[in-house]
Amino acid sequence: MLLEAAIGVMGAGIGAGLVAIGAGLGIGNLAGKALESMARQPEASGNIQGAMVLTAAFIEGVALFGEVVCLLAVLAGK
Amino acid sequence: MKYLKAGNIRLFWVTTFVYLFLIFNSLQFLQASDSHAAAQGGEIDVAGIMIHHVTDTHDWHFFDLPGEGHYEAISIDLPWLIYDNRTGISFYPTTEDLLHSGKYILEHGKVAAISFEVTSINQLAHHVEEDFKNAGGKNIELDSLYWVNLFAREHYVLVQDHNPNFPPRLYKLDMESTVLDLSLTKTSLQMVLVGFAMILVFISVAGYYTRRKGQGPKGLQSFVEPVIVFIRDQIAIPHLGEKKYARFLPYLLTLFFFIWFSNLFGLTPLNSNIAGNISVTLALAILTFIITLFSASRSFWGHVFWFPGVPLPVKFLMMPVEIVGMFTKPFALTVRLFANIAAGHLMLLALIGLIFILGKGGQSVVGGLSISPLTLAFGLFIYCLEFLVAVVQAYVFTLLTAVFIGQAMADHSHDHAEDHSSTDHALAGGSHH
Repeated sequence: MLLEAAIGVMGAGIGAGLVAIGAGLGIGNLAGKALESMARQPEASGNIQGAMVLTAAFIEGVALFGEVVCLLAVLAGK
Repeated sequence: MKYLKAGNIRLFWVTTFVYLFLIFNSLQFLQASDSHAAAQGGEIDVAGIMIHHVTDTHDWHFFDLPGEGHYEAISIDLPWLIYDNRTGISFYPTTEDLLHSGKYILEHGKVAAISFEVTSINQLAHHVEEDFKNAGGKNIELDSLYWVNLFAREHYVLVQDHNPNFPPRLYKLDMESTVLDLSLTKTSLQMVLVGFAMILVFISVAGYYTRRKGQGPKGLQSFVEPVIVFIRDQIAIPHLGEKKYARFLPYLLTLFFFIWFSNLFGLTPLNSNIAGNISVTLALAILTFIITLFSASRSFWGHVFWFPGVPLPVKFLMMPVEIVGMFTKPFALTVRLFANIAAGHLMLLALIGLIFILGKGGQSVVGGLSISPLTLAFGLFIYCLEFLVAVVQAYVFTLLTAVFIGQAMADHSHDHAEDHSSTDHALAGGSHH
């Protein structure tokens, strides 16, 4: 593989890892605060759980934008 | 087996069911490796299988069965419907018929119209020289061989099958014709099947309502009705208002159930991938976009082009920002659904493919066995997660559609006149993803 293509693919790999870190931080924060608030007020758990799943889907959406870009970088190098 | 008590029998069957599905999802790997790879030691092209799963093809390939000396492909060969501005519409029942027609060939999987087949080198040289002169080139000399080569590569194509029975053939492309491929591809057929499933489910549930008027729900109705009521009460009414939600509720329900059923269909061993194709999700997002545009109120367009309540220079700045924001919303819808579903499928395929990569296509048993517990555990977890992702992505797409339509329909004109604070708007319109 040419050096430029190899560096491109390596960049895609590093990017995918960074995206995973970002998603992990975001969703971890979200889950922590949600669990905390569920412990403070157990009657509201249903609402909190629903909101948690929904916002986790949004954060994951942003993370997957990055994944798609990394995938494009790999496929364009081929 | 102590855990097989009455209460736990359901858990046992659910676990068995999920394990069987996970094993069946490996079915796609039962296929013949490429002849080049086979010569190098029987490696299975995992990346090729992954890409083949996500892209759209003209045959629905399930798996291959080993036969006598060759692999028997178990697949459904789909028909071709081609519109050519030279010859009109042509229909070919199978790919073989297309290739034997003499009018079209397959170039990298895409159909291309041909004028004729070149059968000898002299004929080729003669044709290239003629075409080159007609296209405005001088007589062919040695130093223009580069340009002749380039020209020939554009107009002539070599098709080879790696099949010893069929030698490579050279064709001249027909440059005047534009070919439009309208055929029913694998993804389209899968969407049609999901459509049939939806028709079946909802017509039978509708029958329950007419036959059992006033009685409690029973059977399939008791499964579908809470979901429909949930979408109406939690998605449609809060965002679209009590008076206008009924216009959009059919679209929201169709969107939700189509995405949910497609995602569930993708989790069966039938090698199906509907929402993991960006064209499909783009089409759904464009539908949402069109509905949003057609139900937009006057104040919505006012906000886009001439943002009220801010100083004049900021008004000029807000116009491109708002216009771009109008387009990023469907784009986000597209990429979110596509990436979630495609990434889920690719992850499962990659995990199972890891067994084949480390086992070197069957040569290293220890390699394959060493990764199997990890693959099975993680793969099972991801597979169960995919069921959750299936319904959550359908819910998020439908919810955001309702939110965007609601935002477009919202009429601010009688709320406040010109003293319209921008913080108020930042809270209301803050879903620019």
